[in-house]
Amino acid sequence: MITRDQATDANARTRSGPGLSVLTLLLTPALGLVTVLFGGGLLLGFLQSLGYLPAAGMEAYTLQHFENILTDPGFLKSLGLTFYISAMSTIVAGALSISAALFLIGFQGPRRLVDFIFEIPLAVPHLVIATAAVFLLAPSGMISRILQAAGLIDGASRFPLLINDPWCIGIIVTYVWKEVPFITLMVMAVLKNTGKELLEAARTLNANRRQCFRYVLLPTIFPSLGAACLIVFAYTFGAFEVPYLLGQTYPMTLPVWAYRNYSDIDLMARPEGIATGLVIAGVIIAAIVLSQALTRMARRRGVII
Amino acid sequence: MGDLVLEKLSIRYGRRPVIAEFSLRVADGEMVSILGPSGAGKTTILKAVAGLIEPVSGDIRLDGKSLAGVPPDKRNTIMVFQKPLLFPFMNVEQNIAFGLRMKGMAQRQVRRAVEDILALTQLAGLDKRKVHELSGGQQQRVSLARALVLKPAVLLLDEPLSNLDANLRQQMRELIQEIQQKTRVTTLFVTHDQSEALIMSHRVTLLLDGRLRQVGRPQDLYHHPVDPDVARFFGGTNFFEGRFKDGFLHTGFGVFELPAVNGNGLPLTATIRPEDILISVTSDFELEGQVERAHFEGMATRLWVKCPGGHLVVLAGRGEFFPGQTVRLRLPAERIRVFPPGAVEPV
Amino acid sequence: MKPLNRTIIGGLIFLAVGLPFLQLVIWSFSNRWFYPGLLPQLWGWRAWHYIFDTAGAQIVGAIGQSLAVATVTAVIALLIGLPAGRALGLYAFKGKDVISVILILPVIVPPLCVSMGLHHWFIRLGLAESFSGVVLVHLTFCLPYTVFVLWGVFSNYNPEFEDQARSLGASTTGIVLRVMLPMTLPGLVVAALFSFLLSWSQYLATLIIGGGKITTLPIILFALMTSGDRPVAAAVSLVFVAPAFLALLFSARYMGRQSMAGIW
Repeated sequence: MITRDQATDANARTRSGPGLSVLTLLLTPALGLVTVLFGGGLLLGFLQSLGYLPAAGMEAYTLQHFENILTDPGFLKSLGLTFYISAMSTIVAGALSISAALFLIGFQGPRRLVDFIFEIPLAVPHLVIATAAVFLLAPSGMISRILQAAGLIDGASRFPLLINDPWCIGIIVTYVWKEVPFITLMVMAVLKNTGKELLEAARTLNANRRQCFRYVLLPTIFPSLGAACLIVFAYTFGAFEVPYLLGQTYPMTLPVWAYRNYSDIDLMARPEGIATGLVIAGVIIAAIVLSQALTRMARRRGVII
Repeated sequence: MGDLVLEKLSIRYGRRPVIAEFSLRVADGEMVSILGPSGAGKTTILKAVAGLIEPVSGDIRLDGKSLAGVPPDKRNTIMVFQKPLLFPFMNVEQNIAFGLRMKGMAQRQVRRAVEDILALTQLAGLDKRKVHELSGGQQQRVSLARALVLKPAVLLLDEPLSNLDANLRQQMRELIQEIQQKTRVTTLFVTHDQSEALIMSHRVTLLLDGRLRQVGRPQDLYHHPVDPDVARFFGGTNFFEGRFKDGFLHTGFGVFELPAVNGNGLPLTATIRPEDILISVTSDFELEGQVERAHFEGMATRLWVKCPGGHLVVLAGRGEFFPGQTVRLRLPAERIRVFPPGAVEPV
Repeated sequence: MKPLNRTIIGGLIFLAVGLPFLQLVIWSFSNRWFYPGLLPQLWGWRAWHYIFDTAGAQIVGAIGQSLAVATVTAVIALLIGLPAGRALGLYAFKGKDVISVILILPVIVPPLCVSMGLHHWFIRLGLAESFSGVVLVHLTFCLPYTVFVLWGVFSNYNPEFEDQARSLGASTTGIVLRVMLPMTLPGLVVAALFSFLLSWSQYLATLIIGGGKITTLPIILFALMTSGDRPVAAAVSLVFVAPAFLALLFSARYMGRQSMAGIW
């Protein structure tokens, strides 16, 4: 799980630890490899974006590449578009997750089955659901055919553009489909067994339904909801496959723009692609750090209930 | 102010019928317990009164007015759950003030009410503490305070002492009793602990298998159970058969003069509590027996005695007993309880 | 929530989750499905034949390639991640929050950023367009994720069983093989499965580092989607999603509540 709760951590038996040396031995291979690959990858990318490419004979550092992208209207358009898509997906997914959580709290039926259905989207690769999105939402897709059969539209061209469209609806729908279960699961982790009872307690204390929702439910789930939403924002911000497949050719999202530059015939575009990638990484890292802070807050709330 | 009537309540939990035709009257200011084994559905009765569950049939009336269809936040009944369920994002004072704020009370009045209740529940000085900094007992008291500050017509307590350890349990029990006596709030509480029910209640309601078995003062249930199940619930053993003939009860342990119970000559079930049987080594009691087992329990010694008419469990206050010893027993007639026919036969 | 609303929402959820798969299945079994037919005009096995026949040797090859990369990645991630996960789960020490961030970043920062940085140097090291290079870049995010899962597994693990075994005379190897592994096996399998799935679904990193020499299933699927051959794309999607489903079923059966949250 991406988050731990305090109870689980408390279980970490504080047996007199094996000593610093053994601990280092156990942790180093994994942490070391991760640092080398991930940290190294970012660092090396950073160097290249600063113009350091000894193999191509470039040894001087320059901020030219960063300057180039920050002044490139294509970059700014892509940045704005990516923010828009991530923000919309996060907001819609977050709202739906709250409804889903309310649904699950009061659900009395076959819990395992519902949990299973909820977890399915988590396992499906983005590419597959993007493919299905095309089949469903394209002008010649299933929804269009159903509307045609129902007599509501007259031909594929009358169907509103949902794929490769300026509002990126297909992309947002795909992200929402994938991310709602994730956010819901993280919210439910806090509500778990006592969510229902906490609301019942509030109701007997004179809170009507609306007050319960606003003054009890939302504050309780806020940290874990926030943490999950930030993760979703971060992930969608850096995603490639879905916007590549479902997005317009122009403007494109930032990751697509970065890759386009990187794989451009013009080798000079490469460092600019890398620089863009670093900007993306920067935004995401900021979001994740914020998310972790919220998670820490969530842990305290999840445990005491 | 807090006169509660439950009339023929039937409650279902999901698909399962849990409570059937439960009726009870709780007078204003009374503390009544609903006693029964865990999982018997007692909590659902409280939830029905609180408005969190809809009963399938029956009525609930507070001060003569039916509560049917009234949402939980509009009834003047407040439920305190088994777990403290304090709002984790608020401190003690905010938790207690929650209900008052929901009603829209002015800040100064809220402050005063909270202070009063903090004193009453022995929580003075803790008002700014965060919830996770409190001990289990303190959390329970905050939960109680949160309900009491609203001056409810009916207070519903769901197993208030179950989550506490033995020491805390006694303190909390005394606190609840003290508060109830001071505030005279009508209280309905649920427990599976029979000693708790006997100690705390004005009246006890015994619920077994979803049915109301007996209602009455603690003494009544203890000494005058209406059927063997009730007797057994309070630790009664010593069930034996007897037949009434010519005004006397004929049993395997002797003949006793008792007011007759009409059994049409059929064998009836009788019982006597272990502590009511007189036992001695020296006295000239009628019944002779041999001690099979003796367990020293502190306040008394529990003896299994084999008599000509069967086995009896005796609770002896004084004296030392050991297996194999010959003893003499007397069963005082006024302590024998005979159940009318139709009461369930003991296994 | 009113019971009627609940049923409606339940039905919607069911529909939302099931509809995409229904589409994929129908498309994969259609030989001809023109607009505006609600069902294929002609059903058939063409797409499936294409995948597994000579013309689709490329596809089968890609499946094999994906399997190989994902399996190797998962195994390595498990082997390296196990000691770290164990240390994090069993012992209390400072810095866990920092480590938590170190582990979570590579999973969420897109492989794109890291691959672009590593690419040049992989070329110099001879790792570009090679199997090992692709595995290495996959490990960048699979390894930390595995450590995370194992952290959770070992948090619920009671090491006193090992103490007990030791006092009954077991050697360290014996303890590992006969106590730790059997007890943590479901968790280890889930960790390996998650890692496998993460690698299996990876597109861009494989494309950049593999450079077209290492062709995995997502790369094929991409090409198919852009080519417009819908039935084959649908069939390949179903093949693509199959391991995920199997993993889901497995973890639902054996892991109870702490299952698939977090795999994307």
